[in-house]
Amino acid sequence: MRNILLLTLLSWTCLAQEHVNLKDLAAFQHPSNNWTIEGAVQAAYSDTSLQVATGQGILVNTLRNGKYKRSDDLIFAFSHGDIHLMFDFMLPKKGNSGVYLQGRYEVQLADSWTKKQLNFGDCGGIYERWDDARGKGNEGYEGYAPMQNASKAPGLWQHMEIDFQAPRFDANGKKIQNAIFKKVILNGILIHENLEMLGVTRGAVSLQEVASAPILIQGDHTQVAFKNIQYETYDKPSVSMGPIKYDYYTGKFTEPIIGSAKPVESGKLDKLTYKVIKAKNDYLIHYQADLDVPETDTYEFQSYWTGSGVVKVDGKELNQGAHWYSEMVSSKTELTAGKHKLEVIHVKDFPWGPQALGLYVKRIGSHPVALHERTSLLDPEAVGMIEVKANAEPVFQRSFAMHQGKKKTHVIHVGDPSGMHYSYDLKQGALLQVWRGPFLNATQMWENRGEPQTSEPLGVTVTLDGKFPLILDHQAQADSTELVYKGFRVKDGRPIFMYHWPAGNVMVEDFIRPNAANTGLERTFSFKSASSIQSASELVLGNSYHGISSINATLIGLQGQSYFVQWDGRIGAILTPKQGLKQQRIPVQGNEVSYQLIW
Amino acid sequence: MTIACILLAFATFAQKSNSKTEQDYYEIKTLPIPKEIYLEVGGLATMPDGRLAVSTRRGEIWIIENPYQTVNHQVHYKRFASGMHEVLGLAYRDGAFYCSQRGELTKITDTNRDGVADLYEPIYQFDLSGNYHEYTYGPVFDKNGDMLVTLNLAWVGFGEGKFAKWRGWLVKIHPNGTLEPFAAGLRSPAGYSINQDGDIFYGENQGDWVGSGRVTHLAKGDFAGNPGGLKWAKEPNSPFRLTLEEIQDNGAPMYEAAAKVKNLKLPAVWFPHAIMGISTSDILQDTTRGKFSPFPGQYFVADQGQSKIMRMGLEKVNGVYQGFCINYREGFQSGILRERFGLDGSMFVGMTSRGWGSTGKDEFGLQRLMWNGQMPFEIQDIQAKPDGFELSFTQAVDVNSVKKAASYALRSYIYKYQHQYGSPIIELKNLKITGVEVSADKRKVRLVIEGLRRYFIHEFKLEGIRNEAGEPLLHETAYYTLNQIPSGGKLAVQATHRLEEAAVVKAVAVRPTKKSAVISDAEAMALLKKHTCLACHAKESKVVGPSYADIAKRNYTDKQILALVYKPNPQNWPDYATEMAPMSHVPAADVLKIASWINGLRNKALLNHD
Repeated sequence: MRNILLLTLLSWTCLAQEHVNLKDLAAFQHPSNNWTIEGAVQAAYSDTSLQVATGQGILVNTLRNGKYKRSDDLIFAFSHGDIHLMFDFMLPKKGNSGVYLQGRYEVQLADSWTKKQLNFGDCGGIYERWDDARGKGNEGYEGYAPMQNASKAPGLWQHMEIDFQAPRFDANGKKIQNAIFKKVILNGILIHENLEMLGVTRGAVSLQEVASAPILIQGDHTQVAFKNIQYETYDKPSVSMGPIKYDYYTGKFTEPIIGSAKPVESGKLDKLTYKVIKAKNDYLIHYQADLDVPETDTYEFQSYWTGSGVVKVDGKELNQGAHWYSEMVSSKTELTAGKHKLEVIHVKDFPWGPQALGLYVKRIGSHPVALHERTSLLDPEAVGMIEVKANAEPVFQRSFAMHQGKKKTHVIHVGDPSGMHYSYDLKQGALLQVWRGPFLNATQMWENRGEPQTSEPLGVTVTLDGKFPLILDHQAQADSTELVYKGFRVKDGRPIFMYHWPAGNVMVEDFIRPNAANTGLERTFSFKSASSIQSASELVLGNSYHGISSINATLIGLQGQSYFVQWDGRIGAILTPKQGLKQQRIPVQGNEVSYQLIW
Repeated sequence: MTIACILLAFATFAQKSNSKTEQDYYEIKTLPIPKEIYLEVGGLATMPDGRLAVSTRRGEIWIIENPYQTVNHQVHYKRFASGMHEVLGLAYRDGAFYCSQRGELTKITDTNRDGVADLYEPIYQFDLSGNYHEYTYGPVFDKNGDMLVTLNLAWVGFGEGKFAKWRGWLVKIHPNGTLEPFAAGLRSPAGYSINQDGDIFYGENQGDWVGSGRVTHLAKGDFAGNPGGLKWAKEPNSPFRLTLEEIQDNGAPMYEAAAKVKNLKLPAVWFPHAIMGISTSDILQDTTRGKFSPFPGQYFVADQGQSKIMRMGLEKVNGVYQGFCINYREGFQSGILRERFGLDGSMFVGMTSRGWGSTGKDEFGLQRLMWNGQMPFEIQDIQAKPDGFELSFTQAVDVNSVKKAASYALRSYIYKYQHQYGSPIIELKNLKITGVEVSADKRKVRLVIEGLRRYFIHEFKLEGIRNEAGEPLLHETAYYTLNQIPSGGKLAVQATHRLEEAAVVKAVAVRPTKKSAVISDAEAMALLKKHTCLACHAKESKVVGPSYADIAKRNYTDKQILALVYKPNPQNWPDYATEMAPMSHVPAADVLKIASWINGLRNKALLNHD
């Protein structure tokens, strides 16, 4: 299980390598004056326009022209074929824009916040195609809704990641392979995977598909802002390998060391494969080949094997050791242009475990090159998901949960038919995370022995600080608070958590439920004690390492505007408990205090 | 002579085929489970109103109406509670449920009486490291209303208790929420209970420091053998002090270590691994006064991996519990974790096998075991005597059969006490009966035995014993753990006590005509059953261990198979949860026959595929 997880994660970790410079508009072709570079933008979730502040780093469509002109679309200066593109974007309420890969295949950006029924025109949708010849009312066809609604509220920064493969053409310019959205990930949620484009989507710059063309951002509908635009394209040449000479040895090799052994068989291969031999174990195979390196650069060698092995280039050991086939072993090395000597030794001295040998070379700016036959490396095993649903009524489920890299053991996840859910640390009376979408993936807890015993959110998640938010007046918020957990009572299917808070000498009830507008969760602390709350206390509304945006008297944006906190407007204070950390507090008065989390 | 052999063999065969089976006496009833419910049973609680409550590994409590299926076979499920974390124990008391989650002993109440719990209160929060193997079991209430809870060790390639407090312990939680550490040395204490005298017994799985499954009586301050949780013996409220360094790890039997470590508690009864289960779970004393079984006051010990229930009889000798175990009923649908008596004296049997594997093929299940009132011919009891044992039977024995030496095969052995997982059988010795005395009512047989060894497991195979109707025992093999040899009068062995040494014993052996011939499937199955291999392996399908067909694919030689049977290498089969025990007590000749049969499966497979 652990191994399977590793493999799945790998494909997500390759980072885009080029940053689009947003100190000015030089990265774009003839930008209209709708587009400006700004230093900050913000909006309340109910605002239909963005407030901007001058500076650098943010690309904003201010919609100054106000009226549709094709020239308001923003075209990037560079052209691309295959591309891995990532960016942050912010929409106002009812915002609408889109990113056209190669100017032709649109991933829709739109305010689809809290929508239940989605179509191709919702955020993350692949827009429909259009053909007037199909007749009135039937022009639109195809188009793909995202697999789930992964939108955040207007006025929050959202994150998009697109892995796009350009169409392929033969020498005569005939298309031989459709364009493919290999992955589209919105706010951490996979919304499309390996979706083939049978043609360009509506509003493309041309009906003609091509190998290379620039990105286009739709600029005519509403305001929209972008930042952190990064990408990797794959047009650099990479390594190629000459014929392989292999030598096969039998015997009990525990290390990839040939010693004085004599090969029982030798021969030539085009690609690495263990399948050249019949033995299942107790063998050593030594592969040698020339590696043609086109340009001097850093090359990463990613190997997989069951057993033990070594990868050497020009006699220098790169990857080595005993591993299971699902573990990637990786090292980077600087190679000069020209021929290099590649050596791989693979041994397997035990009968269990699948045979496997794989080796990829990855250069930034080019796709990984497999030096092995496909059949020499197994596909990882997939396990069907065990989902806990909260469609009909509120649901709660305890499990372990990861929070900021640590495993928490006394966690309850609470799901709600509104689609807004949270994880809560029962020991600390603390919110760990909130999310919107389907409820809970319990596979890692309920499949087989469930060795991780964790479960994970299935929707767009905001990670919170995991701390008890009540503190005595003017005291610092501790990482952990002494609390006596008294259990929870269930009201209309939802738990109300009960604590004795010794510092305040008071019984506290913590009730989290959807707010009246169903736009977020409302958290209410009430104090159940004959003497009520004894000392002056404060409520920490949030901690943020990326500043606090005060949007209006009752609304702030936290953690780089990744979520909102709203409250009744009582006057609070923003503190700086330590370098880089901002903390919003409000005073506690009476027997009850509440705030809302909106994302 | 040849004719005699054939006749004898035929006679034995004929008799076996007519013999009674467990299901003729001990009936299993299945409670149907709606398809959408994952009733992975972690706990059972019989309710005084005729309902049954079941807690599950998916964190729910279900209340079942009509669980006794008296008229209508259908039963009715209502979800009472949910959302908890792997609930492996459940009790019902004064209108509330008490259960263990991994990290909490929880009281659950339905305050508005709408049939669904609305108050979840922690009585105690347990420390956890996040290791999945830190299971929490219980509670079991004692007569004072205190709750016993057992805390499994973490698994990091061995059992480890140091990551979270009181792991490896049995603790008492008082109703006011205070914890009293009670006994330590536990590894995987999935089942435990309190007998009529208020004494606590727990079942342990074979593992590191545990040579074989066993049941141990725990008094306060006892250390049951696995040192994983000894870090907490340094705590001020620990009832004893002991460190890992004080425990010998030289492979000598546990009783030798116990001679040096005062708190080290020897098991009351060893359950020989793979023969009497592979993962001992719940223990329940028959308090139904004859409703549940013909053995009132004896104990019924479940096994998770082998999906069966065994019987245990205890006596106290010199103030120490010891006794015997014997098979009772196999063939349950999944791996048994829980046993509880119903109001009618039948036993609810709750099961789950996810991640653990079991002989019963279902992922989970709920069944009921009941005695139909017919009296089987069984060993009633075994008691230690100064010079041997006294066996009692449920029916009068055929005196002729009792007087034949060939009716018995007795031997004794013990296991290693070591940090390695499991143990081979060691110090195996055949025993000789030097005298037999039958009581006047022919229900009791006293055996005088040469070479009794204190602390050892004494195996009784009573293949030849018959009742007066000529029927064999329903279960002929029992294992007595002789912690103490009682003092008192020995039997003065006279001529009338001598056994007949019959020549027929030798005649039974039938040699294969051709040495190289691979035995038939039927012969193989007989051998595999005899040596209990089938408890974990099947010919074609994965059970607890790999199928014989899969083993065949490994291309081992017969001799390699023999070596692996005697000294298994669990790394060879990393996909299997349960490690194989060394089966070095199986004669090499039999293993080699089985090995050649296994390798024959490979040839067959090849032939079929070509």
